[in-house]
Amino acid sequence: MLLCDEYLTPASLDEAFAAMEKNRGRYRIVAGATDTYPWAREGRAGDVAIPVLIDVAKIPELRERRIDDKRVRLGAATPIQRFLDDPALARALPCMPRCAVWFADDQIRECATIGGNIVNASPAADGTPPLIAHEAEVELAARRNGKIARQRMALCDFVRGRNKTALEEGEILVAFECDALPGYGGAFEKVGHRRSLVISLVCLAALVKLDAAGRRIEDVRLAIAGIDAVPKRLGDVEKYLRAGMVTAERLEQAAEMPVNLVASRTRQAYRREVVRGFMMRGLINALRRAGADPNMLSPEQEASYA
Amino acid sequence: MPELRIEATINGRKVARPAKPHLRLLDFLRDDLELTGTKEGCGAGECGTCSVFVDGVLMKSCLVPVAKAQGTRIETVEALANSGELSILQKAFHKAGASQCGYCIPGMVMAATAAIRSNPFAGREEIKERLGGNICRCTGYQKIIDAVEMARDVQNGKLSASVFAEDEPEDGAFIGANVRRIDAPSKVAGALKYAGDMVMPHMLHVQVLRSPHAHARVVSIDVSEAEAMDGVEGVITSADVPGEDGFGVFVHDQPIMARGKVRYIGEAVAAVAAEDVLTAKRALAKIKVVYEPLPAVFDPDEAMQPGAPVLHDYAPDNITKHIPIRVGDVTKGFAASELIVEQTYSTQAIEHAYLEPEAGLGYVDADGVVTIISPSQNITHHREMLSKIIAQPISKVRFIMSPVGGGFGGKEDMIYQGMLALLAMKTRRPVRLVFTREESIISTAKRHPSRTTLKMGLSKDGRIRAFEMRMISDGGAYGMSTEGVMRKAAILAAGPYAIANVKIDTYGIYTNNTPSGAFRSFGALQAQFATESHLDICAEKLGLDPFEIRRINAMRDGATTHTKQKLKSVSILRALEAAEKASDWEKGAPVSRGETRSDHATQGIRPPCALGARFEAPAAAERSEVA
Ligand SMILES: Cc1cc2nc3c(=O)[nH]c(=O)nc-3n(C[C@H](O)[C@H](O)[C@H](O)COP(=O)(O)OP(=O)(O)OC[C@H]3O[C@@H](n4cnc5c(N)ncnc54)[C@H](O)[C@@H]3O)c2cc1C
Ligand code: FES
Ligand code: FES
Repeated sequence: MLLCDEYLTPASLDEAFAAMEKNRGRYRIVAGATDTYPWAREGRAGDVAIPVLIDVAKIPELRERRIDDKRVRLGAATPIQRFLDDPALARALPCMPRCAVWFADDQIRECATIGGNIVNASPAADGTPPLIAHEAEVELAARRNGKIARQRMALCDFVRGRNKTALEEGEILVAFECDALPGYGGAFEKVGHRRSLVISLVCLAALVKLDAAGRRIEDVRLAIAGIDAVPKRLGDVEKYLRAGMVTAERLEQAAEMPVNLVASRTRQAYRREVVRGFMMRGLINALRRAGADPNMLSPEQEASYA
Repeated sequence: MPELRIEATINGRKVARPAKPHLRLLDFLRDDLELTGTKEGCGAGECGTCSVFVDGVLMKSCLVPVAKAQGTRIETVEALANSGELSILQKAFHKAGASQCGYCIPGMVMAATAAIRSNPFAGREEIKERLGGNICRCTGYQKIIDAVEMARDVQNGKLSASVFAEDEPEDGAFIGANVRRIDAPSKVAGALKYAGDMVMPHMLHVQVLRSPHAHARVVSIDVSEAEAMDGVEGVITSADVPGEDGFGVFVHDQPIMARGKVRYIGEAVAAVAAEDVLTAKRALAKIKVVYEPLPAVFDPDEAMQPGAPVLHDYAPDNITKHIPIRVGDVTKGFAASELIVEQTYSTQAIEHAYLEPEAGLGYVDADGVVTIISPSQNITHHREMLSKIIAQPISKVRFIMSPVGGGFGGKEDMIYQGMLALLAMKTRRPVRLVFTREESIISTAKRHPSRTTLKMGLSKDGRIRAFEMRMISDGGAYGMSTEGVMRKAAILAAGPYAIANVKIDTYGIYTNNTPSGAFRSFGALQAQFATESHLDICAEKLGLDPFEIRRINAMRDGATTHTKQKLKSVSILRALEAAEKASDWEKGAPVSRGETRSDHATQGIRPPCALGARFEAPAAAERSEVA
């Protein structure tokens, strides 16, 4: 049970910082509250009494969405469901709709925020790999001597480990900025115990851009979570695939490369198998959506991965 | 505590009232506004019994702080039929038989409403996907999805609303006819009150202190500080039991609250009735219990060893129940066998996970009758036991069975009704206890974990010549239904097979694990798992088709079972035939796998689970662009 004496809903960053300064050491930020509530239950944190909850979800800057052909700026309190139903966002972040459709369920996605997902920093957080693949930066804000100071940091540096980030007391995660990748094919592969309401055992984000002929890979971005305490960008695999032709052999070679990175706490052998399969399926799905030749695979390969 | 003032439009009416800042929207709706169609199945976002619309968007109200409701327009299940007529979806649920216990149904109806509001043309896969956040434990999802498709088609004019009408039973015969359930309208409308939805004037709220130890002596319990708290009206321990303390389905070995010692983690030790749940919880923290931990045993085989910790004085060998069955002579049977196979099989504990966590009310009525309202699956027996426990004549004890939001055997044990009775008697006020999901899981009976060694002797033609089974079941800390489960396991262990020589021993054993009890199939599952797996193994070894080996051994009409029951008709041959057909069975011994699988990806076989139906559905994409 989550208890509080006061629940504040500031309407601006300034109001939020004022509340945080007034209640230093006795508040907690909430956005969608979908991680916070289940955490405050028996078997986890149990009954938790936090004097002041500060709800940042209504602050306009945290709800902002600015999208052009190069960059996306996304308020931290953007609900996950917007990746599915905002066509401009779906176009700029091509693997995010695929990520979102596997995320919790339609109802929780209306509450769950992308900022909360990142700050909670579960090793299985589904939002992190796609954003890392988009080279996201986080924008953090704090108020010092009455003035709001902002700081930028690469997302992969912000996430430090299991439930650990670089966020400091007094800071708010305001927004993400990342590459817009329209025209890329996007895929998101996830394995859990059922299809809704599952926490990922492993998840993979894949983004591919092809040349005009649809045969050569111009750019590829791959990020994976669940195989270690923090999500990983697969730079070596990307390098191998970039500027190469799309062939089944090269895809199979690429799928083999990250298998040895598995360093999770549990079920390593299983996760290795999953990684190999996901790499194939993720790449194939992304390639198809990027307009690749539908006959790139033999029927047997088709049957085992598609 | 600065209260919030919530102003919102709820089911079309303006509401403006104070609310405690820590409340969830679910608490506000259920407790403050008494809109109990919205249920709490888990409180953690996992089940969907709490789904409501907030500004037209479906959300799980157990994850929404009430402050977020400020200025919004909220619709609960009560809004769907507030003209007095069921909505199209509700009618479709009624017609399709998409409601059993009904506890998940208000949430399901809400999720279905959201699905066809989001995409009035959603296909079956998309509907499944959009209902993914809602769990049902009894109806199964087929009828629910059927109902949503039916409603969608009626709404789109593809089906006439006359489909909602009741089928005429053919020739007046109801068996085999699709008859609408009489109780479904109240369930689809969210109108039916389960125990946790009921309130009584002047009612107190109960919380239970549970044991953190698997096995410990209770040295002392000091409730004085809890009793002295403002708002606390009564605290009870086993010392408050006036009569003969003990309940159980077969052996009355379980006290209402721990007496002298605790035997499993989660066992009730004391209970508090207070003006509100929070005060009762705070009072629990003030109860001082001194425990002296005892050696505990968690494995039934270890519990059977000499010198193992003993749970109950009456059973120094920790055996709750041993059921032996002897038919013919297995030694002879094995001697006559050409193949002997021996294997050990194990099954784990399983939680029933009915969507309605335990809840109940207790009060002493004007005539002094101690009355309990709860979703008990066994009220008559409970009434008898309680009358002895509280030392009252049976005419002064009454049990009322509230709608059961799923039981599956898990609500047969009287694990909390006694506390309600004692607190109602002590405080002379109505009291109510509602379990959390965690409490339900930690304290209630599970399916018996089992370890079964099966030895079978067969002749080359596949006939079973001897059958010898020894099943050790973990009954946990109390007897509950163990005796019956062991009996059923033994009776059904050798299956519907004609076997001349049978030796079966099933043992229910006390351990310091969570008690095991009744669960659908009542022991048959564990035994059948061994027997049927074993038959497949034997078929493989004999080069026989698994269906064939079963046919060879099947009892025929007029057979006598291993426990001497004469069977007029035996349907196994028909069942085998139907299963063989439905599964596109490839005939032959299960020794090799062909190049291709004809039983795979054929019509009627579901493809592997995937998501993203909505990406392929143009109707959905177009609509969201407009929205
Ligand atoms: C049933 C269920 C299923 C789920 N399924 C998935 C899933 O499939 N995939 C997945 O990844 N997650 C899943 N989750 C977890 C959760 O929904 C997500 O992590 C969600 O994105 C968290 O966001 P929130 O806004 O609700 O977090 P909150 O609970 O509001 O916050 C989480 C943490 O972040 C901090 N925080 C939030 N916003 C800010 C900010 N702007 N600045 C600073 N700190 C902030 C809070 O203080 C808190 O510590 C699931 C949860 C539930 C209950
Ligand atoms: S999802 Fe809210 S009670 Fe289960
Ligand atoms: S009818 Fe769905 S849980 Fe019982």
